[in-house]
Amino acid sequence: MMLANYIGAIALVVIGFYAMIAKHDIIKIVIGMGLTDYGLNLMIVSIGFNFGGTAPIYTFGELTSGMYFVDPVPQALTLTSIVIGACVTAMALALCVRIYNEYGTLDSREIRRLHG
Amino acid sequence: MTYDVYMHFPVIAIMTLFVGAFLVTLVGKKETARNIIAGAAVLISLTLLALLVKPVFVDGQIIAYWMGNWEPVEGYAIGIAIEIDALSLFFGLLVAIAVALSCFYSFRYIKQDDARGSFFTLYLMLGGGVMGIVLSGDLFNIYVMLEVMTFAAVGLTAFRTWNPNAREAAFKYLVVGSIGSTSALLGTALVYAQCHTLNLAQISAILPGNMNPTMVLAFALLFAGFGCKSFMFPFHPIAADAHGAAPSSVSVLISGVFTKTGVYGIIRVSYFLFRTMGLTSMQTMLVFIGCVSMFVCVTMALNQHDFKRLLAFHSISQIGYILTSLGLCTALGIAGGLYHAINHTLFKGLLFLTAGSVLYATGTTYLEKLGGLARKMPKTTILFLVGAFSISGIPPFNGFYSKWMIYQASFEKAAETGSIGYGLVTVICVVTSVLTLASFVKVGHSVFFGQLRPELENAKDPPLGMRIPMWIMAALCLLTGLFPNIMLDYAIYPATNAVYDTVPYIDAAMGSGYAAEHLLSTTPFVAQLRTFIGAWNPISWLLLFIIVLAAIFFVSVSGKGGRGRALEPDAKHAVFFGGEEAEYSHISGGDLFWGFKHTMRHYLGFMSRVHTGVTNDYVLWGVTALAAIIAYCFAFML
Repeated sequence: MMLANYIGAIALVVIGFYAMIAKHDIIKIVIGMGLTDYGLNLMIVSIGFNFGGTAPIYTFGELTSGMYFVDPVPQALTLTSIVIGACVTAMALALCVRIYNEYGTLDSREIRRLHG
Repeated sequence: MTYDVYMHFPVIAIMTLFVGAFLVTLVGKKETARNIIAGAAVLISLTLLALLVKPVFVDGQIIAYWMGNWEPVEGYAIGIAIEIDALSLFFGLLVAIAVALSCFYSFRYIKQDDARGSFFTLYLMLGGGVMGIVLSGDLFNIYVMLEVMTFAAVGLTAFRTWNPNAREAAFKYLVVGSIGSTSALLGTALVYAQCHTLNLAQISAILPGNMNPTMVLAFALLFAGFGCKSFMFPFHPIAADAHGAAPSSVSVLISGVFTKTGVYGIIRVSYFLFRTMGLTSMQTMLVFIGCVSMFVCVTMALNQHDFKRLLAFHSISQIGYILTSLGLCTALGIAGGLYHAINHTLFKGLLFLTAGSVLYATGTTYLEKLGGLARKMPKTTILFLVGAFSISGIPPFNGFYSKWMIYQASFEKAAETGSIGYGLVTVICVVTSVLTLASFVKVGHSVFFGQLRPELENAKDPPLGMRIPMWIMAALCLLTGLFPNIMLDYAIYPATNAVYDTVPYIDAAMGSGYAAEHLLSTTPFVAQLRTFIGAWNPISWLLLFIIVLAAIFFVSVSGKGGRGRALEPDAKHAVFFGGEEAEYSHISGGDLFWGFKHTMRHYLGFMSRVHTGVTNDYVLWGVTALAAIIAYCFAFML
């Protein structure tokens, strides 16, 4: 049921934040960002879901009185959000590659030239 | 709704910037064509918004534009709206001015960089994203534009291949910024779940008064999300990193424009969508966050050794002023906050551009490596002084007037509520202003005055193409300070009215009468501003300023003896100096306030240690702030 989806979504977000806080490997930080994003996507799709609803594509001839459909707007939002999430991951990984070339390490504790 | 040619201007203003971004990529390496396209795009955008001043500010119209003409059906907004009220236009104009001036500055400025082809693509994307946020009437579009803006800003932060810190700054920015994006998106989704619409006007009509736990959570998430984008207190370290690493013309946008979208978002969320600003708990939270940002960042700035990093901390400190002022929730407070927002964009833009000129001329922004540039770069020095006077709030420059309004607003609030806390707010505002002046004395001393460093002999003023945008900004700083009444009548008051009366905004989009039908109470929760502000006569201050300047000029011309020159070792001194050449000695910026710094060493040392530069720590701060805001909202707003 939907409750499982919500719990799963929140769990993914929490795990993602945990990885961003506790993991010192910057690749793992990027994975944490990805997990947070997936949790959100699951959450948004679940919000728009109607149990037993049909796809929101129909013509007026097919429409009967008892019919209802899944809300299409959250799905459109999720698609956008997935695309943005993929871009974030790609950009972060590209920066990781450059940082590794310049610092010779992936440990976030050593990547701190800018501080204080 | 009658057809009106003005209706199409906002959407064209956004689209020109994005179309310009793609055209710039097409012409690729042809520098002149690229500059023409970029310049035309920003100018068209600025002109279109300037043309809207009359209908929106003067005639009080609100432009609701439905993409593809999908107008609301039976009280439900099904299309995507672009809605311009005075508040949107105010922020839009501020964005357009900063984007245009900084773009013209960049033409010459980025000649030092190697990957010039993609600079203007990212630059125009950043401008377009910001413009999209402030003009949009749709919550999800705001989120998408927020991401477009963040990407472009991260790309531009990492842009300088020869700056060794750029990638690190960009990575931190992306990671910590993603907390803000995440919470903004989750908040948007929860609002949709409740209201089944994403249109700002419709949400503003049906949400207030229906606060259930889900909506409290959504409010806290949206507030924290936009707060992250405005770099308020626990999110401030990334701003400092990013400003320092990005090219100066981009720092202008990140500091002057990017942070304003966060402020704009906070206004929209708390004054319009949820109307929570009337709650005392909400006012306390915003004022508290504002004061902490203001004070922490100004003390951090005192500690800095890098010109641009110092400016970055000041930038967040000024955002603290704006948030505090908006959190007071009085008409004077809102007006002061908005006025300070535009002033901050102008003077901080000017200061970043002078920092860029110093970097262009000398190749460094490190305060200890600079000194005595006033003799080599007199024009830049004058521009810097205008910016420094403005940010420190010295009359007749613009910072004085808006800060005066903020002091007065917080003091009135203290008198009105009888609470000692708001009195303390006024004190913090004044102390911060003093510390701001102190740290600009330090910058002025260690960069422009004092003895000239031997290795800076060849430094000279930047070329005309870079100076003109700076002169325009300096002139605007002075004009907005000298003619505050014109500013107030034609820009600030219309925007303030738009903030505290949401009914016209809702009716313009959803059809008249919609607000009255859905809102529980349509009365604005702040009284209209009618009081005369302060006893301020800019002309007499200007006269005083001119007299002082003339006196300084007279003294310096008449007394041009040995001043400013290294003393020749003559026979008399030779006895004491052994005939040696006078050695180069310069009091470094770090030592200028050593007494003060020594007294405060525990606090300053603690602050310096806490800003560790480790990404995980900053994420921890961000997530803690998010959790604290959510907990606070649940405790005091339900």
